[in-house]
Amino acid sequence: MPVTDSGTPGDSDKGVGLQEPSAPGERKADPPAVEVRGISKDFGSNRALDAVDLRVGHGEVLGLLGQNGSGKSTLVKVLAGVYDPEPGGRLFVGGEEVPLPLAPGQASEIGLSFVYQNLALAPGLSVLENLTLGQRIGRGVRSWSPINWIAEHRSGAAVLDRYDVKLNLDRRTGELAPVDQARLAIVRAAEDLRRYRTRSGYKHSVLVLDEPTVFLPAEEVDRLFDLIRTVVGEGAAVLFVSHDLAAVRAITDRVVVLRDGRVVGEEVTAEIHEHELVDLIVGAPARRDESTPAEAAPVEDQRAVALTIAAMESAGDAVAKGEDVTVEHLVAERVRDVSFEIGAGEILGVAGLIGSGAEELPYLLFGARPADSGTLRLGAETWDVEALSPQRSVRGRIALVPADRGAQGLSQSLTLWENIVMLVEDEHYRGGIFHRGELVDLAREAVDRFLIRPPRAHNTMSTFSGGNQQKALLAKWLLARPRLLLLHEPTQGVDVGARRDIYRFVKSAAALHHMAVLWVTTEFGELAEVCDRVIVITQGRQSATLAGEELTEETISAAALRQTRPAGLGQQEREDR
Amino acid sequence: MSAPAPVDEAREEGHRAERSAPSIWRVGLQRYAILIVFAALIVGFGVATPSTFMSLGNLSNILGSQAVLFILVMAVILPTVVGDFVDLSLGSSLGLSAMTLAVLNVQHGWPVLLACLAGIGAAVVVGLVNVFFVVYFDNDPFIVTLGTMTIVQGVIYIVSGNNSVGIVSTNLSNWIFSNDFLSVPLEFYYGLAIFLVVWYVLSFTPTGQKALVIGQSREVARLSGVRVTRMRAWAYILGAAIAAIAGIAYAGTNGTVDPTAGSALILPAYAAVFLGATAIKPGRINPLGALIAVYFLATGTAGLELLGAQSYIQQIFYGAALVVAITIPKVTRDRIFKRKRAA
Repeated sequence: MPVTDSGTPGDSDKGVGLQEPSAPGERKADPPAVEVRGISKDFGSNRALDAVDLRVGHGEVLGLLGQNGSGKSTLVKVLAGVYDPEPGGRLFVGGEEVPLPLAPGQASEIGLSFVYQNLALAPGLSVLENLTLGQRIGRGVRSWSPINWIAEHRSGAAVLDRYDVKLNLDRRTGELAPVDQARLAIVRAAEDLRRYRTRSGYKHSVLVLDEPTVFLPAEEVDRLFDLIRTVVGEGAAVLFVSHDLAAVRAITDRVVVLRDGRVVGEEVTAEIHEHELVDLIVGAPARRDESTPAEAAPVEDQRAVALTIAAMESAGDAVAKGEDVTVEHLVAERVRDVSFEIGAGEILGVAGLIGSGAEELPYLLFGARPADSGTLRLGAETWDVEALSPQRSVRGRIALVPADRGAQGLSQSLTLWENIVMLVEDEHYRGGIFHRGELVDLAREAVDRFLIRPPRAHNTMSTFSGGNQQKALLAKWLLARPRLLLLHEPTQGVDVGARRDIYRFVKSAAALHHMAVLWVTTEFGELAEVCDRVIVITQGRQSATLAGEELTEETISAAALRQTRPAGLGQQEREDR
Repeated sequence: MSAPAPVDEAREEGHRAERSAPSIWRVGLQRYAILIVFAALIVGFGVATPSTFMSLGNLSNILGSQAVLFILVMAVILPTVVGDFVDLSLGSSLGLSAMTLAVLNVQHGWPVLLACLAGIGAAVVVGLVNVFFVVYFDNDPFIVTLGTMTIVQGVIYIVSGNNSVGIVSTNLSNWIFSNDFLSVPLEFYYGLAIFLVVWYVLSFTPTGQKALVIGQSREVARLSGVRVTRMRAWAYILGAAIAAIAGIAYAGTNGTVDPTAGSALILPAYAAVFLGATAIKPGRINPLGALIAVYFLATGTAGLELLGAQSYIQQIFYGAALVVAITIPKVTRDRIFKRKRAA
């Protein structure tokens, strides 16, 4: 995330002036349901939020748009009391000031309710139990008062009726379709708000929906929108946080766009064109701030890759020349007929928002998750993707660097050296003797060449930082001499220095070793920097291919954001006119 | 599950400082703590009861008397190392093997070697049933093996008619218990041989290293191409087979087989395995640590008995040693070392 130095918490007052809710007498009929002024939040030297002002009016659906890292979720977490904002920010609820920071849990006492992407439903409990879960939280005598399940059932049915949601109260929540789970979570939150309004007598209340449509099929999103309209009709305001343009255009009245922690636009949804929104989200094409000099002489990484090459040559490997990769008609749960090619030595980027299906590709091609159909051609060999398994992939020398390195990539409780040599152990077992010393030496060499710090091969994996773990994970797979390297979010949670190292390691692996690389990430600037070509996935389909001049963060973002879905048709007609 | 974490946290995580690794001195202390206490025990008992404790007879007694338990410990290690922390049915597999052998040999006149093989076969069937329900259907091993343990115990009562069955062929007793080498019964050496094989496979082959990865992080193993399912299956089957050998040793040692044989041994076996995981390679289930743990516990109880304690002191000693051993590293790490760092 780019560091923005301008703007200190002190001059946060500059944004005030749109409206003065606390001014007595004046326009007291209609203070906004919630208003924040001058909210800033720093993480170390990074400014995640910079003097953000935001207003959600009564009965309004306000869209909060922005890319990954623009500060959307940080703002939501400030409102939820998870993060403490920097001093100077102010929060007004229903026209009254609430002192910041909020305590955890305080949000619900001032009429804010949240539905996160993960929905916070207990899948093993029934619909009714999940619906009433919030009322069970409490201490003292209330924890011991008996529950009248017959009455609960009746009132639960009434609640679902009120929002016109038809669900069987006795179903296990985990068995519901994703959209119904989302609706259940929204009903629960809306009902909390309604109870708040009747209890307190206030008429304000705000439902915050954080990326609610991400994993939903396009056809079912409309049912969610109907529910949101019902919730608004009941009297709540909605803050709809998303990076999904189509959804935002379909449901919101106004939109606020965040970029690099700042509000860069505030528009009435019906009056703004999609391309204008995209420009606001990704920034003017001229902007190019993360232009750290691309260190040209990567001596160390050539050494790192030389290790793999040496290993390949000693194994008498014909593959050292590199092979082309072709994927045809890949179909899976969230992927609909994707085909592409990766040339030997090419780094192909895959861009797509979360939920687009792009994040499935590495796992499908490795056989880690089941595909429905598709073929993968690697040099002279052809595989059916649905028949792939991790074992076959490892034997066929396909490498997967998963995003969740802690749980899927590296064994945290084993040592660094054991993790690095995990895939090549068999080659060091000869004549009934396990040559552990050779493996430790090999690992030490890799630690040295892949710049892993501290260089202690016998330390437990969990003691290393994210960047060093990621280098170790890369070393582990490169030592296995892959023909196809699949990367998913390879620099997630990695500091800037290690990130540069990883770019160079992969680039040299592709260049010197002619390895085909598939690089999947939501960090579009990264794709612009390292990839030769980028394909864009939206709604499980390949929607664009970008190369050469077109490869900038802005064009990739714009292509990934642009999507068509039935719900957005109304707006599109308007736009075409 | 593939959704990357929200970017804000991910960035924060990147700034996390590298945690300092524990000092060599502390690791060493943890690694050899049991051996140090073991040595202290020997010296202490030696000084307290020099004539009895430090005798060859006592050594032979300690080594020989634990052979059945020790073999069972090697059986228990296999499923535990691949992350299936409880196979409760191994105790009943021991009992089933011993009872099958006794019934066939005593009541049906089978030659003893054939009866032994039948005993192993019966236990392997139990192992296969566990594989079917735990690995194939992906059930919780604790619950499934609780079930198979109970079923097998029931089967033992049926085939034995709820009576002790004996006396098995003296041939068997001779080859297991009565004959000795360096005045230690032969069964100790059988246990030692099994230990050496298990130790070699787990600690000195890539297969053992893969088993370790499965046990530590199953998903990492799967995504590294390890045959997780197959290795877990083998762990259950071989575990059952070794438990059956422990059953044969039991029958040979006691001459008669009691229907409850084995059920009393399974918990001490687990105590030894987990106690062993605090030694040599702390945090890892390892055969050498288990070997030390078995004889540490045996020495402790033997010494206490020589000092006049009742035989049931064994259970208290086992339990206390286990709880203390797993707690001490945490106390040092979390309390003392944190306080020091804060200062």
